[in-house]
Amino acid sequence: MHITFVKKILATGEPCRKCRDVETRLDKSGHMDRIDRILIADEREPESPGAVLARELSVDRAPFFVVENEGVQTVYTVYFKFLKEVLEVDVSSADAAREILRDNPELDFI
Amino acid sequence: MEPREVTALDEPQLVLRRAATRFEHDRIAISFSGAEDVVLIDMAHRLGLDFKVFSLDTGRLHPETYRYFETVRDHYQIQIELLLPEPAAVARLVSDKGLFSFYKDGHGECCAIRKIEPLRRKLDTLDAWITGQRQDQSVTRANVPLEQADEVFSTDSRSLTKFNPLANWTSNEVWSYIRHHDVPYNSLHDQGYVSIGCEPCTRAVGPHEHERAGRWWWEEATQKECGLHGENVVKIIG
Repeated sequence: MHITFVKKILATGEPCRKCRDVETRLDKSGHMDRIDRILIADEREPESPGAVLARELSVDRAPFFVVENEGVQTVYTVYFKFLKEVLEVDVSSADAAREILRDNPELDFI
Repeated sequence: MEPREVTALDEPQLVLRRAATRFEHDRIAISFSGAEDVVLIDMAHRLGLDFKVFSLDTGRLHPETYRYFETVRDHYQIQIELLLPEPAAVARLVSDKGLFSFYKDGHGECCAIRKIEPLRRKLDTLDAWITGQRQDQSVTRANVPLEQADEVFSTDSRSLTKFNPLANWTSNEVWSYIRHHDVPYNSLHDQGYVSIGCEPCTRAVGPHEHERAGRWWWEEATQKECGLHGENVVKIIG
């Protein structure tokens, strides 16, 4: 299995908030060791490796993970799904709900 | 008599009929927010469509909204299932961060516990749901379609369909319908409230303010807007 983690750098040069959050959580949990490659999608640089990969895979959100396993490539844009399905980590329903809301801001109007 | 031409104003009823035809009664429900999306309940009632109805009771709604639930329940003689948050999760949040943490940390954590998690639990029991989401409500809803595969709440083993019958209606059209059909509405609307959510996170807005201005007004609007696509790789949602 080969895992690529793509994170975004904003036009200001700062990392995007969610990417920073995910990276911190990967670090703290020790799961960063499972990541084989980190690519940057830099808003200031359309040809940055992460931006190129996002275009190739038609991914429109960051961070995202690309998992290659026995010739099959799977893209995860939802962190808790990646944790659960790839790293086989238990995710609390509160954490999952929070990520759902973060990725789908229109839901808070419900 | 010549049949009347079907117009965009008929769209919600057509979508509701289609939804009722395609899904079993026990596997589809209307999500009612306690605000102007009551028109969905009224339309279903007039069409003779017996949809189940649920609402998210976050525990922090206005007294007016709770009374309004009862008004709607009595008026249409329907049951409204109130979905409550997980008590342990609420207790943990309140114990750790107090009752008003959202003013400091943003509303995400509280909304996730009080709304999203109960909603997810409910949607796990359905094949389809019906919402009052409209494109004119906010920038994040600008592309809401009449019907969509709900990729957020579908699982590997179960696909969920989401109907948004009011997607193409404007707020004015919704209110014309409410007035024309004498539909009961939340009394907060008479006090200047447009979009109605939890009491601490909702306020009245001025006549020229967007309804979004009445929700989470202390947070920066830009926090919610981040999108990027292909050629101008400028923003990947993050």
